[in-house]
Amino acid sequence: MSRKFLEIESPAWVAEGLITEDQRQRLLARYPPEAVQAVGLLPLLGSILVGLSALSVVAANWQRLPTTVRLALLLGSLLAAYAGGEYFLRRGNRRLGHGLVGLGLVAFGVSIILTSQLYQLVGYDVSGLLAWVLVGVLLSYVYTSQPLTLLPIVIGAAVQTYCTQALGTFSYATIGLVALGSGYRWWRRPDTLVASVLAVGLLWQAALWVALSHAKITWFFIPAMLVYAAGDWHRDRPASRALQGPPLIAAYLFALGLALFGETDQYAGLLRPPVLAYLGALAAVFILSVAGKRQQGRLASLPDWLLLLPGFYLPGGLPLAIATLVVLYAHAGSVLARAHRSGDAEQLTLGTVLFVVATMVAYFKLTWAFLDKSLFFLIGGVLLLSLSWYLRRRNAQRLAAGVAAVATPTTPAALTPDHHPTT
Amino acid sequence: MLTRSTPAHRLLVRLLVAAQVLYVLGVAGAGYATTAYGQHLWLATTPVDLHSLQYESFVRLHYIAAEAPLTTWHGLAAPQRRQAVYVLLATAPGPDSLATVAGVYDAELKPTAGQAVLRGWITDVYAHTLGLRYNLERYYVPGDSPLRLGKTSPAVRVGVSIAPWGQARIERVQLLRH
Repeated sequence: MSRKFLEIESPAWVAEGLITEDQRQRLLARYPPEAVQAVGLLPLLGSILVGLSALSVVAANWQRLPTTVRLALLLGSLLAAYAGGEYFLRRGNRRLGHGLVGLGLVAFGVSIILTSQLYQLVGYDVSGLLAWVLVGVLLSYVYTSQPLTLLPIVIGAAVQTYCTQALGTFSYATIGLVALGSGYRWWRRPDTLVASVLAVGLLWQAALWVALSHAKITWFFIPAMLVYAAGDWHRDRPASRALQGPPLIAAYLFALGLALFGETDQYAGLLRPPVLAYLGALAAVFILSVAGKRQQGRLASLPDWLLLLPGFYLPGGLPLAIATLVVLYAHAGSVLARAHRSGDAEQLTLGTVLFVVATMVAYFKLTWAFLDKSLFFLIGGVLLLSLSWYLRRRNAQRLAAGVAAVATPTTPAALTPDHHPTT
Repeated sequence: MLTRSTPAHRLLVRLLVAAQVLYVLGVAGAGYATTAYGQHLWLATTPVDLHSLQYESFVRLHYIAAEAPLTTWHGLAAPQRRQAVYVLLATAPGPDSLATVAGVYDAELKPTAGQAVLRGWITDVYAHTLGLRYNLERYYVPGDSPLRLGKTSPAVRVGVSIAPWGQARIERVQLLRH
């Protein structure tokens, strides 16, 4: 609660007899004005400006500086950042300390790049930058800090991008370091933000691998679903769902694209890897995922795999489009059913959105060609409105019934804001 | 996972930082060693456009050796874009002679006397020629280089040294007098 809010609202509380004037004064005293904190930011702002001016002086004269001075500047800033980080950590200022250690890691990478540039030196493999990823992963084990865990994941994605784009090779060591090093770090200390960033980082590297090897893009889903399956094996439920989010979103977007553009056989032809190899690999990942779900008692989330049904082996044209639509509907239905059973308001909203999207795609596909356009939009709008009204009403009924059945007061936060109890 | 401020933690951090400093020094050492132990040769370029020096600290070098006839290709399969290649350069005797492309290979090979191997990548496959890239195209111009005082597009030659372990670097860029 902000001080301002308290100042504006509290007189009314006194007037209504909620609190006494004395209590109001004590509350105000408890939250001192924030002007003091804002003044505390000034030294930080000042030091940032001084640092920027020093940086611009060095950058402007970089090529004119002797080699040894440049090297000394690089190593000096690296050492200063780490020393400063340790100093502030020992004094108990964790945030600043970890920030400076992260700065030291960035300085290490910059030093590698600028030193090779200093000697106009060409590297032909990624080993120079691999050391950067390795040090980042090691630091994330040495310090217990969320930003320092995120940093090597981001650095790994950047190094892999450079490696595939500039050097034309895929660095298996880089993806291995991130998947096993940062992955194990997350496994030991689960965290939803790290999980999402880790999944996105790994998917990015997998996409680079597919692009570089000119493989069919559907191969992307083997590593992506491996990330998903890893989530199935983890005990911490929110963290594992966060890890599974990015692969699921990718699979959903792919299925949506297939429903929209799958009719042309030319597009579907781009997606068909050799049947046995692809299905074999996918089945192996599927078994791994199911085993994990069984062990953690989460078999209810099995319909997630509906999105991975390899419909693109069907002949292109209407059969493929319709099959994909059926899959989209089944998936949305499964999300809704699961949400109804658990009474989870967030999942209900998600299921509703998925259901509406599937309906709109189906409507668009089946009627765009032969309906008059104004009629098309009119019917589409009416369909959308009535569908959202019906689903919202149903959800509200379910949630109300769930509350009545449990007969215990639930927290209002568990309900969606647009929840209207029906009478 | 270690907790902060134990002697073991402090030792680990010091070792990690020392390893990073040594690594950066190692990169610098590789730069020196490439010149000290490497094979030296001159590459010809098209005249250098100095306009970019007003905004950036480097110029782009367009090597004559960046284009090779398709007949010089020696590979099992047809050349592909972005493929890594080994370019065999013929260095005529004499300290000032320019190196020319003798062959483009998809596998490593041993150069004989009067030859050198520079690694590169295929940028384009044209009907009769191959476009090549050596990652030596950006030259960061030192502050005391004559290029900083020079004419708008001087003719130059580029001194390159290739280390026995495969790394390469631009040693210097020399203005040609006509």
